[in-house]
Amino acid sequence: MIGVDVGGTFTDVVAVRDGQLTVTKVPSDAAQPAAAVIEGARRIGVEGSAVFNHASTMGLNAVITRRLPKVAFLTTEGHRDILDRGTLRRPLDGQTDPSWRRPFGDAARPLVPRYLRRGIVERTLADGSELRALDEAQARRQLAVLRRCAVEGVAICLLNAYVDATHERRLRELVHEELGADVAVSISSETSPLAKEYARASTTVVDVFMKLIFGRYSAQLDEELRALGFAGDLHFADCAATLLPWREALEKPFRIVFAGPAAGTISSTRLGAALGTGNLLCADVGGTSTDVSLVVDGAPFVNNTFEIEHDVVINALSTEVSSVGAGGGSIVSISPSGDIRVGPESAGADPGPACYGRGGEQPTLTDACLLMGILDPGGFAGGEMALDPELARRAFAALDTPLSFEQRVAFAYRIAVANIAEEVMNVAVRHGVDPRDFSLVAYGAAGPMLLPAALELLHVARVIVPPQPGLFSAMGLLSTDLVHYESRSAYVLLMPDAAADVEERYKEMEQALRARVDANGATIRRSLDGRLLGQSWETPFVEVGDGAITAETMPALVERFHDAYERRYGNRFPYVPVQGVTYRVELVVGADKLEYAEVAAAPDPEPAGTLELRYLDDEPLQASVYDRDALGLGATIRGPAIVREPLSTTVVMPGQTAAVGRFGEIVIEAQP
Amino acid sequence: VHTFPRPQEPHLSVEREPVDGACPECGAQALAAYRVLGEGGLWDVVKCQQCLASVTRERAPRLGSLTPLGLTIR
Repeated sequence: MIGVDVGGTFTDVVAVRDGQLTVTKVPSDAAQPAAAVIEGARRIGVEGSAVFNHASTMGLNAVITRRLPKVAFLTTEGHRDILDRGTLRRPLDGQTDPSWRRPFGDAARPLVPRYLRRGIVERTLADGSELRALDEAQARRQLAVLRRCAVEGVAICLLNAYVDATHERRLRELVHEELGADVAVSISSETSPLAKEYARASTTVVDVFMKLIFGRYSAQLDEELRALGFAGDLHFADCAATLLPWREALEKPFRIVFAGPAAGTISSTRLGAALGTGNLLCADVGGTSTDVSLVVDGAPFVNNTFEIEHDVVINALSTEVSSVGAGGGSIVSISPSGDIRVGPESAGADPGPACYGRGGEQPTLTDACLLMGILDPGGFAGGEMALDPELARRAFAALDTPLSFEQRVAFAYRIAVANIAEEVMNVAVRHGVDPRDFSLVAYGAAGPMLLPAALELLHVARVIVPPQPGLFSAMGLLSTDLVHYESRSAYVLLMPDAAADVEERYKEMEQALRARVDANGATIRRSLDGRLLGQSWETPFVEVGDGAITAETMPALVERFHDAYERRYGNRFPYVPVQGVTYRVELVVGADKLEYAEVAAAPDPEPAGTLELRYLDDEPLQASVYDRDALGLGATIRGPAIVREPLSTTVVMPGQTAAVGRFGEIVIEAQP
Repeated sequence: VHTFPRPQEPHLSVEREPVDGACPECGAQALAAYRVLGEGGLWDVVKCQQCLASVTRERAPRLGSLTPLGLTIR
């Protein structure tokens, strides 16, 4: 089994063979994204592997940076500005700012420029009947303009097409006739046949972008992996880190636009299950940002939509991940009011932190950790990169502030820790959970050197540093199932007389899934998104159960909705009728998963040396240094201490105790 | 006091000045310069009259052709 997580800075490759874990890290190449994956595959060897599971934030980065192919958008005449309008929500900081503009609007950076958004004369009503026939001559005139503009793809989203797709399907035929058979086309009635035209439109637009971005990439990747001797299955992870065969993923590639961060949550869930703890706050501290997610009772918090950026909505099942701009590369600067600020800007991989010696002159969190003694100047990134403390010192010395040098470094570290702790607390509060009942999983290369310091701010039960924290997200790709799903929308009051109608919808979707997937041994899961009558938002993932929906079982289904509503919002309104909106079938095909190897007992660890830990206190602290590979089950370390491993460094703060568990995980708790 | 005759055209629209050159998006020789009102205020644009791609887009005076008297007094 091989898992590959393509990040903005590094591509992580993890392989498991005969229970042995092999890992490698390759610098990512934005210009040739497949090259880093192939290089990683070559290093680790793919011959004989059964699966190659791939996750990438390449699509997300393309949307955020607007490095996008030229795509057109066709919609019902008079509605072409729905892409510009969004949901009309303004973020908090835009509500009192008259100059605020939507970042995807025409005045800023539109996903599709206005001249490529064309209205088509047609109209289908909400009940599926035709008010106005599709004007094919007018459509061909619009397509002639698009042909002259040499668009590479076309997204089609007509009003109410989720009820009747006749016009969209005909329009797709016209696109191929006018623009050629090889033009990528996505129609909303197939991409995301759900109510609410804006979310459907933005999902369809992103889908056609992903078809173009991943289309060439996937074919190249598959071909080059075969050339390296790989004879197994290439899978892509989706936004909930479940897997899809790559050709199926490319049929609806909007599902894989945001695949990286969810894999870390899955990995945490898997580790939590092995450790017997299901309540986890997961924090992935990378180079630019920290991604925080929540696992309650062993289940990640999954949503039915997510936003790529403010108001750019995607109708995909996705693990809820919140981000804060604090990571190893976060730049330390002085705010206009004179205080130290960390992030959200990042030095990234190029030029990187000042201590990399690649021309970066601004101090970063990595520079602070180097000056504090946490990072080893000669052992960074597995010894592949030497860090220069003098460059870090100069960068901090150059800050325009009356603060002393010691304060600059100490405050930078503490502010970064506080920023991350604040986001973790926000996630906990938003979901109404008490952090004291939760363990904080610290991963990402920078997680173990920052998050133990957050223990006293957050009052979580413990911090768990998993094995291989720098590659923990990639390991999540070896801990997940293949999930195929279909969903449909229809506003139906969940009353006994609607049972046959709802059951019929589920049967149709199940038949469609079974027709395209070999369902032997697969599990079918039915769920629905419903709402109280009169609401405009849905409560997602109400379990429907296994049996057929009948007039007799309908009251039980409504009761399950009320249970789900109460779990999510804390209130129960049993006398308000319930309306079904989206009906979903998931077909889960079990896959082989990573098993954590148990480590041998070694209760008395010997430190490899000591070092001076600076700026944590008024005076430097003497800290023991341990080699993580030498730590076994039962090893206990009292802080202050440093635990080094090739791709990460763990800090045990003064007043904390670290104990090594049976899978080599380090569990850090406050000393009683 | 200025007086203006009643317009004879059924619809009023801003005048579009033809501009030499080809549209970089569709290649048509149909560029025109005029003022538009969009999100963010008034803009002086050069747009292709066939595909409506904006070739240039520069911010126009905040109040368009109107110059308040106060701004003219020195």
